[in-house]
Amino acid sequence: MDLNMAEPGEILPDRKIDTSAYDLLQTTRTSVEDIVAQMLSIKKDGGDTTRSQLPELVTQMLLNFVNLRKANRSILLEEDLVKAETEHAKAPVDFTTLQLHNLMYEKNHYVKAIKACKDFKSKYPDIELVPEEEFHKDAPEEIKNSVQSKDSAHNLMLKRLNFELFQRKELAKLHEKLEEQKKVLQDTIANRKKFLSSLPSQLKSLKKASLPVQNQLGILHTKKLKQHQSAELLPPPLFVIYSQMLAHKEAFGESIDLEIVGSLKDALTFARQQANKDNGISTTNMENSKMEDDVVDEEDDGQRRRKRPKKVQVKENVDAARIYQTHPLTLILQIHDDEASDPKSTKLIALTFEYLLKLNVVCVGIERSNDGPESNILCNLFPNDPGLELPHQSAKLWTGDGPIFDEKRSSRPYKWAQHLAGIDFLPEVSPLLTAGADSTNGETTKQTAIVSGLSVYRQQNRVQTVVQRIRARKKAQLALAEQIDSLTKLKWPSLTCQTVPWFSHARLCSLQNWTIIPSHKPTTPIEEQNQSRQELETVAGPDTSKSEIENIREDGELPSLNPAATVANEIVVTVTPLKISGTDHSKRLALITKSVASPMSKGKSPSSRKLDEDLDLMLVSDDEVDEPLQSEPEPVLTGNGGVHVIDNSWIACGARDYRLVLMRKVNSGDGYIKLEAKITVSMEYPLRPPLFTLNLFRAASTETESEAEANEWFNELRAMEAEVNIHVIKTIPWEEENMVLGHQICCLAMLFDFYVNGGDSSTEKGNSTCVVDVGLCKPVNGGLASRTYRGRDHRKMISWKDNGCTPGYPS
Amino acid sequence: MAVVEGGDCRQWDEDAYRDSILADRESTSLTIFRTVFSPSPTNPNFIVAASSDGSIATYSLSSLISSLSPGFGNSRAQNLFVAEPHCLLHGHDGPAYDVKFYGDAEDSLLLSCGDDGRIRGWKWMDILEAKQDSLSHGDLLKPQLDLANPQHKGPWGALSPIPETNAIAVDTQGGSIYAAAGDSCAYCWDVEKSKIKMTFKGHAGYLHSVVARNSCNQIITGSEDGTARIWDCRSGKSTNVIEPGKDKKSKEFFSYVSCIALDANEKWLACGSGRNLSVWNLSASERISGITTRACIQDICFDDNQILAVGAEPVLSRYDVNGVVLSQIQCVPQSTFSVSLHSSGVICVAGYGGVVDVISQFGSHLCSFRYK
Repeated sequence: MDLNMAEPGEILPDRKIDTSAYDLLQTTRTSVEDIVAQMLSIKKDGGDTTRSQLPELVTQMLLNFVNLRKANRSILLEEDLVKAETEHAKAPVDFTTLQLHNLMYEKNHYVKAIKACKDFKSKYPDIELVPEEEFHKDAPEEIKNSVQSKDSAHNLMLKRLNFELFQRKELAKLHEKLEEQKKVLQDTIANRKKFLSSLPSQLKSLKKASLPVQNQLGILHTKKLKQHQSAELLPPPLFVIYSQMLAHKEAFGESIDLEIVGSLKDALTFARQQANKDNGISTTNMENSKMEDDVVDEEDDGQRRRKRPKKVQVKENVDAARIYQTHPLTLILQIHDDEASDPKSTKLIALTFEYLLKLNVVCVGIERSNDGPESNILCNLFPNDPGLELPHQSAKLWTGDGPIFDEKRSSRPYKWAQHLAGIDFLPEVSPLLTAGADSTNGETTKQTAIVSGLSVYRQQNRVQTVVQRIRARKKAQLALAEQIDSLTKLKWPSLTCQTVPWFSHARLCSLQNWTIIPSHKPTTPIEEQNQSRQELETVAGPDTSKSEIENIREDGELPSLNPAATVANEIVVTVTPLKISGTDHSKRLALITKSVASPMSKGKSPSSRKLDEDLDLMLVSDDEVDEPLQSEPEPVLTGNGGVHVIDNSWIACGARDYRLVLMRKVNSGDGYIKLEAKITVSMEYPLRPPLFTLNLFRAASTETESEAEANEWFNELRAMEAEVNIHVIKTIPWEEENMVLGHQICCLAMLFDFYVNGGDSSTEKGNSTCVVDVGLCKPVNGGLASRTYRGRDHRKMISWKDNGCTPGYPS
Repeated sequence: MAVVEGGDCRQWDEDAYRDSILADRESTSLTIFRTVFSPSPTNPNFIVAASSDGSIATYSLSSLISSLSPGFGNSRAQNLFVAEPHCLLHGHDGPAYDVKFYGDAEDSLLLSCGDDGRIRGWKWMDILEAKQDSLSHGDLLKPQLDLANPQHKGPWGALSPIPETNAIAVDTQGGSIYAAAGDSCAYCWDVEKSKIKMTFKGHAGYLHSVVARNSCNQIITGSEDGTARIWDCRSGKSTNVIEPGKDKKSKEFFSYVSCIALDANEKWLACGSGRNLSVWNLSASERISGITTRACIQDICFDDNQILAVGAEPVLSRYDVNGVVLSQIQCVPQSTFSVSLHSSGVICVAGYGGVVDVISQFGSHLCSFRYK
């Protein structure tokens, strides 16, 4: 605009020219247009008059055209001129525009800078300064008095800031100091930590080092702990034994020792398997790992010092091995003599308890026992418990056909062991599960059952009873062995009890023989007695080999199982106790045998008649036909038969038979008289005292044995048996119980002496028999004409005065 | 089970167990000295047994047999079945040696004698009813009769022990009981007055046995001195002395007369002394026969003209009066002290081991059981 305004003079003159050109153009055009219009109107009107005007008009027109051209030229020229002028004027305009833009930019910059300045924000509101009053109070003078700005407010602010800075510097210093302190402390902590971490290993080594000392002092603390740990892995039955025994030991000071042996690792893996198998839940890892640690400890600590007891596993096949699979842990019970004065009392016996997994039974064996009579020492610890049979039915099912427990195993499933283990109330569970009882109903009832079972267990004093019984058994066996030892050397057993008459009795007879009768069949014990009896009776028999065959035959059958026995009411016509009486009698008796009306006997009698003459044949025939008659009277002889014949097989389990021969010279006349006693010593000794079965022989010399006189002396021998088997036991004091065998033998010798004396006098008087008074233990007082015999059984009187015995009535 | 009285380790009673063992042994060493059938005309009803522990037990024969019958074959072999007595009386201190019935009727008395020298009598009806009144064990049953043998006075008035009574015999008509006592005397007791009517002195040894010969008002005693004597009950004098062992000299054993028996006609007398069995004709006072047996004879009785004899062997022998063996029957007791015969022919033998064996008239074993 400015530019346009600045150059008005220059343009205007040109404009004038321009206007003329344009005007010309304009006029020309109008004239053209007029002429055209005339021409057009002329043309329209036609006529000659008008037409004559046309040339004129054309000339004019031409003229106008020339004008038009002239005007166009001048316009173009004019236009070029204007363009040049415009070009010329454009440069200054551009320059000023540029200037303007620069200025505008500069202005904007300043505006922005101003705005930035205006927008500036100080940090100080963020800093939490102490309030002014506090500043005035606390700030040091030099800060308060310093002047840094003329603006007082600003100055104050600065001062405060300074103060703040000062304060912060102080605090930073303090912080640094504290950091340093902290670091020191951390260092000491780390040191101590290091010490602590090294402590367990030191303690362990200390523990290890202390073991011998503990042993020395008898404080087996470490061992106890270890045992407790392994006790957790015991199967429940063994755990019951362990815990109850231990409790008993601690409560009553019972001198017993318990030890758990076996591989803990195995036990652990077993327990885990069991747990997984039972309900698929394994116990918490923590527990396991803890236990594992323990186990590792265990192994490290040289648990292997003790060799694991050699498991007597005679495995015929894999199946048997499976059935008799034992839990890896076993329990060893050491029983000490409770009467020994020494606190480190002598060891009586060591028992091993093991648990058969499949059969769910606890077996007991004697540690380090060889196969021998020793191993049987636990047999019949309680009545009817020989340990040969499995105690419960489920276990029997496992073994299938064989109801008898493997006899080769030295440890047996005694019933008392099951009771001791509480198997009668324990449910079958895996060891690890018992600890963490679930809250389900079944589980709780099980728990209560166990609790009540245990209380009954304690009420019944099972532990005490068993321990006492074992102790008594072992002592009795030791005492018995001593007595048998002396008897084997043919020495009279030494008695300490002076109040019995046979103590002071001067013996006239001598111990001639003491032998053990080997038992042929330990598992069929009833017959053993019969058999031995038979053997005794057949000593003088003509054909011992034959009779032995017969005996063996009889062994195999129980009287009640005898098939021939089902035939009732037969009349006995054959003389069965052939061997008892010797050849003469048998022949005579057989000859006079006569059959009475009975189909059975009729059938039999010809055969027996025919065989009368031949003893050998007779025996054969007995085997065939008269078996029941043979065996029938036997149980009476054995003396402990009775209604229990069948059930009594357990009694003879572990029993040993001995043969004792007492000999005396017959006073008047030549020859000797021998008293033979077959002594059955039961495992239950002395609770079941030895049983004597007597027989009498006359012999020409010391070596020969002739003619048994059992028949003639039958009543006397039975009376002596009764005396020795029953009354002696009642007479001897309680403390002498273990010596009962010695007492019995000494008493027998005394009775034998009196008998032989009696025999002398009776021959003088012409008497043949004499009997021993059964009522020995109740001496009669008073005076009566001296009598030697009494009663319908014509028994010999022996009176007892002070500690001595005399034949006959007391005077 | 009696065997496991002591229990196991759960309820262990050692003393009870020890006692049970001894009791068991004792019961097998018992001797039954006498069995007798209760008076009944047709069939034997009850057996009364006197045992060496002084007790007297009655057994009902029918219940015994029925209890055995289900498995007879079994019980045959298991003849040691312990029988439950119908009634158990504590008869005597020391062994009871003899039992007899006094009278045949309902009001009969059961007499027993024993080592304590006493003769006791119970009303048989009371014993039978005792069971019904559930007094199964007759300890509470008081004896109707209690007679004690006299004691002998020594110097300064010292009294001898009461001698034992080894056997008794009865005379129902005369109201007497004859007792064979241990002081070598026989006594005649008046049942009504409980007084000794007569004392028979003369034997040199104690008396083993006595039988009453009521038809002649005599008694016959067998003694330790080896003789049997016939006594006249009116005078108390010995009319005859029989010595069974008289002709058996030197080598043979001298023996006491352990048992004597009269036949039903009271004409023949059987004497057992040691291993000798002799039969005497009393009217002629002569010995008919004499044989030697294998074992000592301990009891005999007459069965019409035959003699049943038992001894220290498990055999019941039957002889005729001439001493010929007619039969021998095996019986259960190894040493037999008693043989008794019922009028129906049933025989009961008993002896060592507390065993009673009942043999039918046909010779078969009706039942055998053990004394409890």
